[in-house]
Amino acid sequence: MSSCGRIRELIPWYANGTLSSAESGEVSVHLAACGACREELAGILRLRAEVERELRSLPRLPDGVWKRVAVEAYGRPIAHLDVGSFFLGFSLGASVRRGAVPIHGDLKVLGQKIRLFNVEQEERI
Amino acid sequence: MLSDHQLVTRVAGENEDAFRTLYDRFADRVFRYAFTLLRDRHLAEEAAQETMIAVWKGAQRFEARSKVSTWIFGIARNKAFDLIRREKRGDRTPDVSLVSPDPAPGLLRQEVVAGAMSTLPEPQREVVFLTFYEGLSYGEIAGVLGIPEGTVKSRMFHAKRKLAEALT
Repeated sequence: MSSCGRIRELIPWYANGTLSSAESGEVSVHLAACGACREELAGILRLRAEVERELRSLPRLPDGVWKRVAVEAYGRPIAHLDVGSFFLGFSLGASVRRGAVPIHGDLKVLGQKIRLFNVEQEERI
Repeated sequence: MLSDHQLVTRVAGENEDAFRTLYDRFADRVFRYAFTLLRDRHLAEEAAQETMIAVWKGAQRFEARSKVSTWIFGIARNKAFDLIRREKRGDRTPDVSLVSPDPAPGLLRQEVVAGAMSTLPEPQREVVFLTFYEGLSYGEIAGVLGIPEGTVKSRMFHAKRKLAEALT
């Protein structure tokens, strides 16, 4: 039988279900015969629940963060043109991003955008 | 529903819808991971923001053999440590805005747990977070942290002992 030390080392990942099937089987066999390690597992499960509860109690990431990410990633939109319908369309957009003016064109098929081009020019406006 | 890998592939092609979906899947988790490292909500927000921007810019460099979550948490970790260096804060204390001045009885235990987590050294805290909250395997955690698997296990061993002492 595996030693309690080895099994206790693996128990946190036995509890989160990520051990390989061989390791998981090894832990299960040991637990069936060892009360002390079963207690260890119960303690780990309690600890996991408490840590999870504490982290879930944090406020969610504010929506404003997405706006800042989007501006940084895509630039601040300054012009946008959409033609066509949901089934087939084309859009052309320009934005300002860190001293550059990226202009991009997208083909839209059934609501899905496919980027056709993205040209970045130095800002002159 | 698209897999995380499929989303990253689309993000690499500058697909904004895919990026928004990836953001919705990961940004809040990155925020919680960054908070675990930084114990400061505002810095954690900044780390989450910088991480997701790096994901947008770096999607083309993503290696398909990696798991998306471990790649993103790896970026988040670097961003959090960059912020620590920038802030030059040696000894951090929990963000007071998260502690209720007159907590309801049910919240007291949460604050005890938060306090216990805060007492852990950051290398142990992140192993606890990635195992118990994110459900990563020890191998994946070793990949995110860039350390041997044995070190992950030993950090967990010390962390659980300290947490058990603090919570009994």
